[in-house]
Amino acid sequence: MRFHLPARHHGVMDPEPALYMIRINGHLGATVLSAFPAMTPRRHGAHTVLTGLLDQSALYAVLADVEALGLDLLEIRKLTRHRESPGSGDRRSP
Amino acid sequence: MTVAPAAPRLIDRGDLLAALDRAAARKVTIISAPAGSGKTSLLRAWAHQPGQPHQLAAVSVQRDQHDAQQFWLALLDAVRHASATAGRAEPQAATPDFNAPAMVDRVLSELADARGGITLVIDDLHELNSPEALSQLTRLLTNLPPNVHAILATRRDLRLRLHQLRLAGELAEIRAADLRFSERETRELLDASGIALSAAGAALLHQRTEGWAAGLRLAAISLAGHPDPERFVAEFSGSDRTVAEYLIAEMLDGQPAGVQDLLLRTSLLDRVNGELADVLTGRPGSEPILLELADANAFVESLDPKRTWFRYHHLFGDLLRLELRRALPAEVPALHRRAAGWFIQHGQVVDAIRHTQAAGDWPDAARLLADHSFSLTLDGQAQTMQALVQAFPPGADHSELALVRAMGDLAQGRLDEAAAHLAVAETYAETTSPGRRRRLQVAIASLKLSLARRRGHLAGVIEQARFLASPVTGPSDEDIALGSDLRAVALMNLGTVEAWSLGLPDAERHLREGAVLAREIGRPYLEVGCLAQLGFAYIFHGAAMPKIQAFATTQRRCREAIALAERYGWGTEPVIAPALMTLAGTMVWLGEFDEGERWLRRTERALQTDTGPDVRLLLHQAAGILHAGRGRRQEALEEFGAAEHLASQLEGSQALASQMTGWLLATQARLGRPGEARACLAALDDERAGSGEIRNARAVICLAEGDPAGALGVLHGVLAGTAPVLGYVTVVEAHLLAGLAYRELGDQRAAYQAAERALALAESDRVVLPFAMTGAQELLEALPRHETAHAALLADILDVLHGASPAAKEQSSLPPAEELSPGELRVLRYLPTNLSRPEIAGELSISVNTVNTHVRSIYAKLQVRDRSSAVQRARELRLLAAGRTR
Repeated sequence: MRFHLPARHHGVMDPEPALYMIRINGHLGATVLSAFPAMTPRRHGAHTVLTGLLDQSALYAVLADVEALGLDLLEIRKLTRHRESPGSGDRRSP
Repeated sequence: MTVAPAAPRLIDRGDLLAALDRAAARKVTIISAPAGSGKTSLLRAWAHQPGQPHQLAAVSVQRDQHDAQQFWLALLDAVRHASATAGRAEPQAATPDFNAPAMVDRVLSELADARGGITLVIDDLHELNSPEALSQLTRLLTNLPPNVHAILATRRDLRLRLHQLRLAGELAEIRAADLRFSERETRELLDASGIALSAAGAALLHQRTEGWAAGLRLAAISLAGHPDPERFVAEFSGSDRTVAEYLIAEMLDGQPAGVQDLLLRTSLLDRVNGELADVLTGRPGSEPILLELADANAFVESLDPKRTWFRYHHLFGDLLRLELRRALPAEVPALHRRAAGWFIQHGQVVDAIRHTQAAGDWPDAARLLADHSFSLTLDGQAQTMQALVQAFPPGADHSELALVRAMGDLAQGRLDEAAAHLAVAETYAETTSPGRRRRLQVAIASLKLSLARRRGHLAGVIEQARFLASPVTGPSDEDIALGSDLRAVALMNLGTVEAWSLGLPDAERHLREGAVLAREIGRPYLEVGCLAQLGFAYIFHGAAMPKIQAFATTQRRCREAIALAERYGWGTEPVIAPALMTLAGTMVWLGEFDEGERWLRRTERALQTDTGPDVRLLLHQAAGILHAGRGRRQEALEEFGAAEHLASQLEGSQALASQMTGWLLATQARLGRPGEARACLAALDDERAGSGEIRNARAVICLAEGDPAGALGVLHGVLAGTAPVLGYVTVVEAHLLAGLAYRELGDQRAAYQAAERALALAESDRVVLPFAMTGAQELLEALPRHETAHAALLADILDVLHGASPAAKEQSSLPPAEELSPGELRVLRYLPTNLSRPEIAGELSISVNTVNTHVRSIYAKLQVRDRSSAVQRARELRLLAAGRTR
């Protein structure tokens, strides 16, 4: 399981929490979901999509749990607030 | 970890083993794949292959390991066992002042000495949460001796800078795709587990798990007892749930209720034994269940050969822990509390504190941490302790922690922060119960002493800390044990400060008492520390009284302290530095300059990690007198100047202040700069200016100015015994200066008498240095042999002054070394430098292997075991020029 994070803008960490979408292969049951109390889960076909407002250290903590639980990470995306941004239907307002 | 035998149901993955065999032919192999990919199983199967030619040195990194020292000690221990050198010395013991570079050198030297090939196996490397340890590991991996390979297993790629190895084709990687089970291997696994499944069913299972090792093993456990394996696979395949979660739920469902309960409740432990599991389940009989689980599958493994401690596979444990929090949320804090109670009863304080924190009992955790902070530091767990401090929620103010923070500050040389934290701790101590207050006050006073010593601010500190000398008592055994640790530290710190401020009889008494107590309570670090400071203290004590062979006694004491330190692998640690330095100093005083230089170099190595100005000051002084003894006055002046500069950073005066200033001024004068020396002299206060050492310096200035009568006038107080002196050596020096002055005045008789008095005083210790430093050679040469009662000493001194040190004569009796080849000599020239072997290879444009071959052969021919002793031996044999001491 190797993944690349989206490039940060000019290497500047965003101190404000932002809405992140994390797509994982398979349906997460209650046990595994309990590892992500800050994230809202939604089933999306054969995937589970976790959405939540995270700052950088919370984001890395989530990724560490994804790794520790051996989950198959498919996608991770920061959702912008712009309405016109190309959306996948997972976009939500914070 | 001792590599436990592979569980019976692991199948022989021949292709993968062959791949690892091929990879292991390179210097370094990295197995990088996610949780549950079968890394550990592969390592085990490989390690237990019949005919495995390598000795294995295997370690498994503890969960979330922040403590570099704990990691390196485990690695060194494994290497020693593998290279069968473990019997040679006591196991390397942890120390409060851990020197990571020296530790890597030690591991490398153990590896280089090993006979036959060694493979280092480091599992769970992703758990090593110490950037420092990772960078030191990089150094280890890029400098492995030819017969050594390393295999690292990790869940994710690590920031090890191994590009050099990669470019050289010496780095092999095994990744998740390589570890995946093939369909054939899936069928073999099912067969080996006695599971009858159709070919289609096996294919379906393989497809659903994508060959993921943990998934297949979990499935095999459930399938083994399943009435309808085909249906199980069909249902599993039809489910969208993640593989691990689905299969762990199935597996748990298949277990009896008692087993399920045990697994859930003990999942919050990093390791478990039967007794601890009984405590958490509230029922007896856990041990047989754990043994059975370990036998049955690869998710519970025993950690020791006796099979008393177990751990769960990390992924499995994490999922169980989540399930526990979900199923029994109310019980979790209570379970942590019970675990903490068991650990504290069994003296495992770090685990106890972790579980107390996990239970959310922050005040209790803070109290435990503060109470055990000295003992933990002595156990070499200082980094772990600071990590525990970090785990407290930010903002929550636990005043107890101020003490622990102060210890971290002191260790890192943040002296102002340490003082601030100590002040907080002091205020807090007032508010606690009388029993704890006393302990906290002892701890605080002890740290204040150590802070005062680092700052050189000794005035008044001892009076405040006097109460430390009386025992700390408490109602329980634990109190007494904690109290003893505290008291031994307190005695060491008190005696050290006393030694530095010349409170010598007290220093000796307290250090000796500290050493005895340390031995009684099994704290070798403190025993070594007390004995090392005792050697330092004694040189002054003894030097105040001639005719008792103070130098010989001091040397013997220092050597005893050093021998004890070496037994624990601390021969070049800061704790022994005072003894190393004192030994070096006495060598120089006795005119054994080469030997003195060797000990001085070792002192420098020991002080690599010590940032305090106090000991470094002595180092410069010793280097200064070494140069002065050899007649290198310019170099001597630089060292004395550096020492004086450090002294100015210390807040108060210290033990040797007048002597050092005296040396500095005298050296300036001897270099023809009496004006500068006079200017410095004018700046001294009266007390300092009246000391024997400064009077001697004033005499040297007079002599340089062509005023021998003035010199005699200044010396009068020293010779008559009215001026205070640090030791009789100051008087020896005064007699010699008087002799030089009489000589200038043309009074040969008085000059001879002065020289004769100097010799008489120097006789019992055979002190040589004052004769060399004062430039008394001509005076001594002119001394008629029949007029001296000290002809033998005189001859020795003149030998030294002519450049042949007594030590050099002894060395000529060493067995001759086999002659080195021109290639070896070329490599030898680089051994005193800081260049690594690859860098030497670069300098000489030859391969690293050639350098390695030469170095091995140099060691063999010089009959030494490491680089520094090779340099030393080569110097003795005049193969290398005696190097400059910094």
